[in-house]
Amino acid sequence: MNIDPFLIWLESTALSQWIVGSESMFAFPGILALPAIGMGFAVGICLALDLRILGVAPGVRIAEMRRFVPIVWTAFWINAISGLLLLIGYPTKALTNPVFYLKLLLIGVGLWLFSRIGRRVFNDTAGDDRAQSPIVQRLAIVSLVCWVSAITAGRFLAYTYHRLTALG
Amino acid sequence: MLHDLQVWLVTNIIAHSPVANLMRTAWAWPIFESIHFLGLCMLIGCIGTFDLRLLGVAKRVPIAAMHRLIPWGILGFVINASSGMMFLLTEPDQYIYNPSFHFKFLFIAIAGLNAGTFYLSSYRQVFGANPSLDAPLRAKLIAAISLSAWVLVIICGRMLTFYRPAPCIGQQASILLQCAPAPEKRVSQ
Repeated sequence: MNIDPFLIWLESTALSQWIVGSESMFAFPGILALPAIGMGFAVGICLALDLRILGVAPGVRIAEMRRFVPIVWTAFWINAISGLLLLIGYPTKALTNPVFYLKLLLIGVGLWLFSRIGRRVFNDTAGDDRAQSPIVQRLAIVSLVCWVSAITAGRFLAYTYHRLTALG
Repeated sequence: MLHDLQVWLVTNIIAHSPVANLMRTAWAWPIFESIHFLGLCMLIGCIGTFDLRLLGVAKRVPIAAMHRLIPWGILGFVINASSGMMFLLTEPDQYIYNPSFHFKFLFIAIAGLNAGTFYLSSYRQVFGANPSLDAPLRAKLIAAISLSAWVLVIICGRMLTFYRPAPCIGQQASILLQCAPAPEKRVSQ
């Protein structure tokens, strides 16, 4: 399937050209800073929950960590929107690189694991017993591996693309 | 004087860097960047959540219990200081003369002093016998400064690319040199 006409159209839109070409620090540089902040909070809180499940900070009731869930999702949406804007800026760079799809897949799996773990441990009002189950412990380990891989895939995007733009 | 110190640092790092050869091998740079981003997540995920707890999120969790996450946040910081050093020791001029790096360093220093202030000023109130579940106002202020400082550190880190130093033209009046001076000619071979 040839997606070049689509890429060329997208790159010639005013929004794409503003994101890439504007001198304003709120254009490309500003948009680029957002996903790093969002990642810190979204992935960071997921990592903290995984660490907690694996035994760190035993005094923290795991069910109480559900209070941080809205922050994870807020950060996720900040990243989804800023990521979409970066994608509109450089669609060819991302969409022609298999690593980009790997990154999206890993983020999807990471978030799915986060909600699966959450469903098991956040309603456990009696105590932290359910978090001690081997299934949840294993999910936490897979979640850690998944986030480390997603971060690595994201960083490698900057080094593995073979086409920057379709417009040329 | 600071200008001379910057030039001295860059010159010496370039001449003696122990890691530049390693960092210039294939994939070393992106691997260390990935490690740097992982450290960032650990730092925000553990220190940031503690700050949020002080500000009132998850209020039923005792502050002292939440504080047990802090060593993992510090580990994140150590990972980032070390991986950051790998970049600095490979391309010193890209950082030492970069205004975005100067601000990043400033905000790291603010975050560090702020954390020190927390332990000096609020330790007894927060961790003593019969601690309140609601942090004192002073601790909340410190938590807000901590969160802001770390977010600013991330922003400055991301802005490094856009403030890469250009070659110097004429005299520099700023406190810190923000352009790359021409390298001095080598006297001997």
